[in-house]
Amino acid sequence: MPPILEAHNLSRFLGEGPTRVHALKGVSLKVEPGKTYSIVGHSGSGKSTLLYLLGLLDRAESGTLTLAGQATETLSDDARTELRNRFIGFVFQFHFLIKEFSVLDNVMIPMRKSGTLTPRAMKEKGMSLLQSVGLSDKAQRLGNQLSGGEQQRVAIARALANDPHVVLADEPTGNLDKENADRVFELLSSISRERGNAFVMVSHNMELAQRCDIVLPMQDGRFT
Amino acid sequence: MLMSFSGIVFGVGFFIVTQAQTSGFQQFFIQTILGVDGMIRVEDRFQSTMRSMEAERGSNFEISLESNVRYIPGVQFPERILSAIQHFPGVIAAAPVIRGSGIINANFRSHSCRPYGIDAEKHFQVSDLEEQIIRGSAEAFKANPYAVLIGERLAKRLNIMLGDSVLIESHNQNIRYRVAGIFETGIGQVDKERIFLHLAAARILLDRPNGASFLQVNLSDPSKAPEVAERMQASLSHAVTSWQWRERTWLQVFNVLRISSALTVSSIILIAGLGMFNTLAMIVIDKTREIAILRSIGFTRADIVKIFMYQGLMVLSAGIVGGAAFAAALTYGLSRLPIRIRGIFASDSFIVNWDISHYIWAAAIATLIVGVASYFPARKAARLEPGVVIRNSGS
Repeated sequence: MPPILEAHNLSRFLGEGPTRVHALKGVSLKVEPGKTYSIVGHSGSGKSTLLYLLGLLDRAESGTLTLAGQATETLSDDARTELRNRFIGFVFQFHFLIKEFSVLDNVMIPMRKSGTLTPRAMKEKGMSLLQSVGLSDKAQRLGNQLSGGEQQRVAIARALANDPHVVLADEPTGNLDKENADRVFELLSSISRERGNAFVMVSHNMELAQRCDIVLPMQDGRFT
Repeated sequence: MLMSFSGIVFGVGFFIVTQAQTSGFQQFFIQTILGVDGMIRVEDRFQSTMRSMEAERGSNFEISLESNVRYIPGVQFPERILSAIQHFPGVIAAAPVIRGSGIINANFRSHSCRPYGIDAEKHFQVSDLEEQIIRGSAEAFKANPYAVLIGERLAKRLNIMLGDSVLIESHNQNIRYRVAGIFETGIGQVDKERIFLHLAAARILLDRPNGASFLQVNLSDPSKAPEVAERMQASLSHAVTSWQWRERTWLQVFNVLRISSALTVSSIILIAGLGMFNTLAMIVIDKTREIAILRSIGFTRADIVKIFMYQGLMVLSAGIVGGAAFAAALTYGLSRLPIRIRGIFASDSFIVNWDISHYIWAAAIATLIVGVASYFPARKAARLEPGVVIRNSGS
């Protein structure tokens, strides 16, 4: 199966002047559908920087990145944004729910943006996603009326809203207790396997990382 | 946001109200002066005089020069000019007037006055004099060749009543007239010195057996007066002035007043705009994470701009609707407010002008200010880099 994401020799500097550091030093990676990946390493090893590059939230100084067969490095900001909407789902350490919106509305945001579904179909799909994360009974609550674990599960449902080919998670369990962390990880990995999308997770948690198909340790801006 | 909304409501509202007042007074002033002195005046005849100058001392060669224009007071042949005037487009009526000065005596009191000799039938077509008669009647004036119409303030000073006999002195003549009516134009200077009498009687009093001091002309469209006046002057060889030229000082005063009040009141909208800018700028700072997540989900920079502009638009729309309603209510209330105004016109209440253009201008100014105030925070929000925001959020 062809890789959904293919990075070749990515290089990225962060900061300016005396604080400028070489965060990524020629990293290459292939992400295949249906597989789960964990990128592990100490703080400052470059794993989050790599994840943002893979998610088209940032641009590399050099190297190439192909998403769903399309070279991305020369694309305009709008084109990259559209690719994000179509192919990528994000889960961050902090859920970043919009607190003025209900849980269901938060899940429906990516669908509203892509505009491919009718309002009714969006609502049905949103409810279905909330059911899959066990929160369909709390669909009308505001985001800030849920516990931390529940909010992160809403963020997972939101990440899956547009049936992404790859889900990128940056420390998705970093802000949760062990029980919730296990539950969130299981949810992400099992849903990804069921749906056949790739799942790439950056984590400090070695125990969870080891449960992924492929573990990619990083150090000093390189895979070791 | 509530402060910005209130600012827009009051700014839009007061803008409309001040414009309704100033333009109301301006329109009423124009109506008054048109009703008193007409739209166009054909006055002094002019001649272009030529003179010559020696090219060199003792030389036979002379250069012809056009010198100053020489004015001959009054209209020498009014009937000919009246006949010609009728052929100009837009002319409804024209009337001759003889103007002079004199002393009016009544009730053992004297006062200087300005007798105006008029052809009543024609003059009523070029002025509102008939409607300005507050006591007596135009019919009584027409019926008596030695009847006069006297300004209200002059009548009051001399304690003249309707039907009284008055003696007017001018050009070494004393002629007695009967007061057939008292008029009020609202223009103080007119009401305290002007007396209307019949043209024939005025010719005797003012010792002017022929000609006219000026011709007063009425047009179907007052706004065309300057161009018609220009054409008349070019073809009639008489000085012709439009009401816009004649009253330019007052018109400029009104215009300056309108602009000044518009600028002053627009500052309220400007402050509302600054409030809006401040609020949206704070929202951008407060919502950087939400903006970042929207960008990561697939919202473009233009989408982020739209979200913020939409917020501004909602407050703006509500503010304009609220402001227009507030203005309409206040304008109506002002129009019912009793206030006695005399001097340049006569009114017993605030005069307002209901004009949709005031509402459109207020909305346009508010839209411009709020649009600019919303755009810059929106642009700042759109420029946020989602990766940087999320990285700095501790993720």
